[in-house]
Amino acid sequence: MFEYALSVMIFLPILAGLTLFLFPFSDSASRISGFIVSIVVLFLGIELFLGFSGSGAMEYAESKAWIESLGIRYSLGVDGISLLVLMAGAILFPMVFTIFSTRSKGFYANLLITQGAMIGAICATDMVLFYIFWEIMLLPIFFMIGIYGGPNRLPATVKITLYTISGSLLMLAGLVYIGVSYHEQFGRWTFDIVELSNLKLSGGFAVLAFFMFMIAFAIKIPLFPFHTWLPDAYTEAPSSTTFVLSAIMAKIGVYGVIRFIVPIFAIELARFAILLAFAGVIGMMYCGLAAIAQKDMKRMLAFSSASHMGIIALGVFCMNVQALTGCLFQIAAHATSTGVLFLFIGLMEERMQTRNIADFGGIAYRAPIFATFFAIAMLASVGLPGTSGFIGEFLIILGAIKFSGFIGFLAGTSLIIGVCYMLWMFQRVFFEKSGEGTEKFQDLSLSEALTFLPVILLILAMGIFPQPFIKKIEPTAQLHIAEMTMMAQKQLADTRLPIVVDTHQKN
Amino acid sequence: MNDFLSLLPLLIVSSGAILLMLLAAFEKSRLETASCVSMGFFAVAFFVQLLVGYGPATAVFHGVFNGMLVASSFTQAAGLIILACGFFTAMTTHTYFKVNSFCTLEFYAILMFGACGMLLLTLSQELITGFISLEIMSLAIYILVGYDRSNIKGAEAVLKYLMLGAFAGAFFTMGTALIYGGVKSTKFVEIGAFCAAHSATTPLLLGGTFFIFVALLFKAAAFPFHAWVIDVYDGASTPVTGFMATALKTAIFTVFANFLAQNSGLHGSWVTFLFYVSVLTMFGGNLIAIGQNNLKRMLAASGIVHSGYLLIALVAISTEHFTGSVIAYYLAAYAAGTLGMFAALAYLGGEGEKRATFDDFKGLAKVRPYSAAAVTVFLLSMAGVPPTAGFMGKFYVITSAISADQMALAVLGIVSSILSMWYYLRLIINMYFHEAAETFETKGSVFATTCTFILVFCVFAIGIYPIVI
Repeated sequence: MFEYALSVMIFLPILAGLTLFLFPFSDSASRISGFIVSIVVLFLGIELFLGFSGSGAMEYAESKAWIESLGIRYSLGVDGISLLVLMAGAILFPMVFTIFSTRSKGFYANLLITQGAMIGAICATDMVLFYIFWEIMLLPIFFMIGIYGGPNRLPATVKITLYTISGSLLMLAGLVYIGVSYHEQFGRWTFDIVELSNLKLSGGFAVLAFFMFMIAFAIKIPLFPFHTWLPDAYTEAPSSTTFVLSAIMAKIGVYGVIRFIVPIFAIELARFAILLAFAGVIGMMYCGLAAIAQKDMKRMLAFSSASHMGIIALGVFCMNVQALTGCLFQIAAHATSTGVLFLFIGLMEERMQTRNIADFGGIAYRAPIFATFFAIAMLASVGLPGTSGFIGEFLIILGAIKFSGFIGFLAGTSLIIGVCYMLWMFQRVFFEKSGEGTEKFQDLSLSEALTFLPVILLILAMGIFPQPFIKKIEPTAQLHIAEMTMMAQKQLADTRLPIVVDTHQKN
Repeated sequence: MNDFLSLLPLLIVSSGAILLMLLAAFEKSRLETASCVSMGFFAVAFFVQLLVGYGPATAVFHGVFNGMLVASSFTQAAGLIILACGFFTAMTTHTYFKVNSFCTLEFYAILMFGACGMLLLTLSQELITGFISLEIMSLAIYILVGYDRSNIKGAEAVLKYLMLGAFAGAFFTMGTALIYGGVKSTKFVEIGAFCAAHSATTPLLLGGTFFIFVALLFKAAAFPFHAWVIDVYDGASTPVTGFMATALKTAIFTVFANFLAQNSGLHGSWVTFLFYVSVLTMFGGNLIAIGQNNLKRMLAASGIVHSGYLLIALVAISTEHFTGSVIAYYLAAYAAGTLGMFAALAYLGGEGEKRATFDDFKGLAKVRPYSAAAVTVFLLSMAGVPPTAGFMGKFYVITSAISADQMALAVLGIVSSILSMWYYLRLIINMYFHEAAETFETKGSVFATTCTFILVFCVFAIGIYPIVI
């Protein structure tokens, strides 16, 4: 029955979105139908998660010939790398439909198309197919920010679009280079990622292609120094779009690195890992410090999200099982915690018509449930033990210390910055004396509380019993790292280039 | 029999042109009828062209034409694109001339004569035939560009185009003469054989090829012969501009590819030259396009950029197993997007093309969401965003460039398409993210609107089911 589950999860939202565009539906009808579609996707996602065996190979695979002259196939599949990202995409979307009721038809349609395209990008096991979904998911974001965003939305929209499209187009060149190299080495065309990992690349073009891919993903993540679009886009976008951007789209950037760069460019990654790891750490520190200085709550959270993405990316560049497992786990943890925080801020903005931290105060006395939920999500975001954020960050720091003591030390200390701005913000917004506006601040309604409750419980569950989740991702992570080390060694033996694997000397 | 079939579309279109010429003599004939008649002829010719089965390249009526005309699956595809362009242009004009009344019946006859010249040009594998068909096509286009005699911009455009085009024609003849002097033949095959046996760099051949390249690059709107494009495209009426930008370019690139593909020696010695021409065409076009405020001028400049991409495909042409599939596919994708854009402009532009600049289309999405969505699809296709046809076209071009070890060209092509995002996005931003200042009322028939939506379908269909010949 669930043979085509992935296809349904991709195309049901896309078709629903297109239908909403083409026919005159009322806003509330679109909201309800969007909600139903996202619930169906959620149901399929949970079925998928329960049925997932965690063998390390692709499961629920589908494959059909598409463009035969170039060996491009419509092929989908899920493994330990994509599972949790996929789950984040399936679980978080219904919340947007229940919480914000004031949006118009076009907004819900765009949201549905984004969801379909994102799931498509996560499940695609053919590089061209991945690229197509990767590009499609940007378009609805473009319209959502441009049409429904804040007062300075136009520059923000142009910035995010030009940034991401430049990255994608560079990736396209790299992708074609990989396909052509495969054709030269094996005499046939394919873009299947499992087969492409047999590829042996070397020389200047390989490094160029590596950077083309890396820049594309670094922009999406966003990794320092490609993060400058993020504060504007996250601040100007409607809260639910920011939520989608931070909770899922940024994660797909990290996912792309793990999925494409680690197996194919193993040797280049080993060469430049230290550089990239520093980019991650610098991003963590810089964005963390910038977050302390923000007056706008959403902008602060945007910087905080960028800072956390730095540590997730660091998990990939350390190239060992602990860091990679931690990274995959942290992807899901961060998606739930930061995603929910953005939704909370959206709620606060709807109630107060402001996002200035200075305008708030004493909300905890007026809205205790809201404050509790917010506190749990916030503590998960800073990585308090007992919440989901702890497990992932702990594993990543562990891996980072194994990789390089200095990097590990820097990463560990910059987590403190995160605690600083979060707790300080929490103190100013939820405690202290209540301001004029916060006197009438309403607590969560029943439906809102029920919407957030599962995710809050998930955050706690992932923090207290991480094993069921880690069990599903670890085999793939081990396989991935083992393959990569093998490939790197094989390539080293083949090329006989004087490449120093001891990457410390590279810098 | 197959020989006759491969010439049949050409015959159908030319008899249609003559019939329309006669029809124009009758006082009772109406413009709408003429438009429908020419649409009918184009459609019939299209289906005939579609039905002809091609194997490898075959000389048409070898006894009569002595190998001057050669039909292959590549020329078939090019012919299909040209006929489709003719059909959609006729369809668009049906609406356009209800609002802009400078048209007479001969317009459609001339349109069809132009298409005849283009079809003949795709088939010609010989320089003199090439010259004759080039001139048939160009003469028709000159008239079409200057059709609105009361429009001062049109008069300027036709003068510029005619003067410069005459030079291009003269260069072509000069090149033919020089090549004939060197090779003692004007057939592509024999020039190729000569270059393989001797050298492609004798003074006569070098000079001759250079002049022919000048003429072809001029017609293809490539750097450094691109300066005329902006004014001419702007001065011509919108449907004519669409026809010029698509069908004419298809014909020119087909004959260009045929000329190069027959001749590995020539291709080898000119590849560096074409490399630089292509890079400069892309970047020159982009720089011009970024500065434009008028939509038609922007589209003209973006046409130059697309010529640059097509030149990448020409640089990467494989002379051994030439199928032309990359070029044909790119041309089809480009034609669908560009024609659609011009069809939409034809009815949205309104009377006397009063809506012409980026700012005139502010807020279009609020008032006419479907039209705005269609325009968005065309722009995204031109920009090469999946899942549209433009993306697959770009994908094939880059694949062919990297396969031919032209990594630098592929990267420069990508950089150029990053630059081009700006002016495509600018229109989308204007349509969607601003409030509407007017009501965008349009008059006339539904033909242009229908045409636009058929082309939207084409853009997706070509993109999702890329049929490669």
